[in-house]
This record gives sequence, C-alpha cells and structure tokens, in this order.
Amino acid sequence: MTATLTERYISATIRSLKPELQDDVRAELEALIADAIEARTDQGEAADEAEREVLSELGDPGLLAAGYADRPLHLIGPKYYLTWWRLLKLLLWIVPVCVVGAVLLGQLLSGAEVGESLVQALAIGLQVAVHLVFWTTLVFVVLERTGADTGMKWDVDQLPEVQEDGAGRSELIASLVFLAIAAVAVVWDAVRGFFPTGGEPIAILNPGLWPWWIGALFGLMVLEAVFAFALYAQRRWTTALAALNTVLALLFAAWVLVLLLGGELVNHEFLSFIAQAGGEEFASGNADAAGNGGVFRILAVLLGFGIAIGVGWDIADGWRKAVRERRVARV
Amino acid sequence: MEEFDTQLQELRRGTVVLACLQLLRGAGYGYSLLEQLGDHGFSTDANTLYPLLRRLEKQGYLTSEWNTEEARPRKFYRTSLDGIRLADALTTEWRSLTTAIASLTKEEH
Repeated sequence: MTATLTERYISATIRSLKPELQDDVRAELEALIADAIEARTDQGEAADEAEREVLSELGDPGLLAAGYADRPLHLIGPKYYLTWWRLLKLLLWIVPVCVVGAVLLGQLLSGAEVGESLVQALAIGLQVAVHLVFWTTLVFVVLERTGADTGMKWDVDQLPEVQEDGAGRSELIASLVFLAIAAVAVVWDAVRGFFPTGGEPIAILNPGLWPWWIGALFGLMVLEAVFAFALYAQRRWTTALAALNTVLALLFAAWVLVLLLGGELVNHEFLSFIAQAGGEEFASGNADAAGNGGVFRILAVLLGFGIAIGVGWDIADGWRKAVRERRVARV
Repeated sequence: MEEFDTQLQELRRGTVVLACLQLLRGAGYGYSLLEQLGDHGFSTDANTLYPLLRRLEKQGYLTSEWNTEEARPRKFYRTSLDGIRLADALTTEWRSLTTAIASLTKEEH
C-alpha cells in the first residue's frame, strides 16, 4: 500500500522533531488536516483535490517543523551577526597576511624561487582564510542555537575617532622632509661616506649606479614631491591620485628590487669592507648561513621583503582612503 | 494594498496571539480556531497558527487536552490563568495604542 500524501506530509514534518513530541504532533496534524479536507469536501470539492490544496496551504514541512521545534531558520541571527562580522573581519585582516608573510619569508630564506614561493604562500594564505571563515562561523552557529552570551556589549567609548585621511598640511610637510633627507643621504653617501674608513670614503650604494640609476631615483623623488603637492592641493584622496600613488610605489619597488636581485644595489667594496671589519666572528656567522647563500643574501631577502610590504601597504592605503572619500562624498 | 504588505504584516504580528488567547477562553481545537480567527477578521496561515499554539502552551498561557470522545480525536486548547492575565495586559496595551494613534490624527485637524 502506498502512503497517502497526508501521511507523507506528516512524516516529513515530524521526522526532525524530538521523539517525545513526534506522536503528539502526528495525532494533532492528522486531525487538523482531516478537518481542513472535510471542510473542503463539504463544499463539493473532490477528496484528492482537497487534500492537495490543504497540504499546499500548509507549505513546506521543514518550515512547519521549524515552527514546532522553535528552531531558527537562519545561520546567524541579529543577536550575533555584528559580533561575528567584526571578529571575522579582524581575523581576516590579521591572520592570512601574517601567514602569507611568514611562509614567503621562510621560503625565500631557504633559497626557493620567488615565483614559486609566492604561489605557495598565497595558496596557504587562501587555505587559512577558508578555515578561519568556516570555524568562526561554526562557533557562531552553535552560539545561535544554544543562546549563549558572547559578552560583547557596545558602549560609546568604542566609537571610532574621526579618521584623518592623510591629505593635510602636516602630511605634505612630512613627505617633503622625508624626501629631502633621503636625497641628501644618497648624495652624502657618495661624496662623504657614512662611516670612518681611515682613508677614501666607501659608499654604501653601488657607485656604478651613477649617473643613470641614481638619476632615475632622484626623478622618482621629484615625482613623489609633486604627488605630495597634488594631494595637498586636492585635500583628499581621489581614484586618480590612488592610481598615481600605485604607479609611483611600483616604480620605486621595481627600482630597488631589480638592482637587489641583480646584486647591483650595494657597493661590493662596502660588503668586503664589512666582512673584514667584522673579522672572525662574521666569517663564522657567514659560514653558518652559507647553506642559505650567506649573511648578505639573507639581508637582501629581508630588505626586499620589507620594501615589498612597505610598497604594498602604501598602495593599499591610498586605495582605501580613495574609496572612503568616495563613500563620504556619496552620502 | 499589496504594496504595503510587509508593513501591514509587521503591524498585525502579535495581534494573533491576543486573538487566540481571547477565543480560547472557551476551549477550542486547531481547525475550528483557524476558522474563527478568519471569521473575526484575523486572517492567519495554518502553518503559523499551529506552531504558535504549541509555543503558547509551552510558555504556560494555554493548556491542552485530548478529546477522544468523538470519532476523530482532537487536541483542545484552553487559555490558562496566566494566559488570561496576558490577554488582559495585551488588551490594555492595545486600547492605549488606539488612543495614542487617535491623538495623532486629531492634532492634524
């Protein structure tokens, strides 16, 4: 004998209910549905047609069961949503970035290819992000269903400060002073040297970079100064300024990294001078690190890494401010 | 009236509870209650009413009893003493809301 539609409907409804509730709900639903069908057949409707109509009106059995069991029909409700979302944003800002950085640094220091290291670090970062989202959400789904308190209360002290967008006078002055110091340092390094050698000054930057490479560096500095003025003139970050900032930052990164990877950035004379001045201890330290290409290679990786992070942050910061400006403008 | 459906539903939410508590002062069972509600102008879906009755029972505002004397056994609900107190409180609130709303339109004229 095949089950009637009503039987199938009731089974589907009570299946997910607690066992002690099941029989009671079944009996009640049987009566309710029978009453409703009877009311329709009394009006002259055909029995099977009436059954169909009544069950259709009752709707999805899962919905009805959720009503009986007092179950929420959402993963995370309004009570927890904001806490969940804030925590998730915070974690996603911090953890994957740290993991990608750490993996990349480790890979580069152990002498892996740059491209390969990057791909591997990003893959691990993605996995970490997916895990973060999944586990955080799972915890909140459980909280939603147990009704526990997260202990997060809002008060006025948590209001964020009105954010400076870095387009004011003090930022202009800071940029110009920094650029001036950098320019003077480059010239000073070439002409006078930064440390006593007991003879001819030894430059830190490779003297072979004069005049073209250093000229390009000065060109970039001038462009940065012009950019600082443009930003000050506009008084706010725009999409065009953020794009310009990106180009400048990438040019600077390219300048450093091309020279660094080519082993052209630092004066070889300077390196050998350090190695001599360091004496025996340096030599043994260098021997320890020889497997990784020596102390200088490690320093080069760290320097390149630092520059890449700095440039990446600079670019992201510019876009962040430009987007925020646009949002404020829209409001 | 379809364009205001969400707002109207929001306003009606809660009135069904009051209507049930009042109608069930004399006992009643699910389907008859559904029809009574409709007759009084509280159009309610069966799939919200039936779980609602259970919830009110669990909260102690309704009591229930199986009536097996007739051919079809039915679960009868009746408003409990707590339920009557709740109904009175809700009715008082409703009256004060009615006065409040009336005062809104009065000021315009």
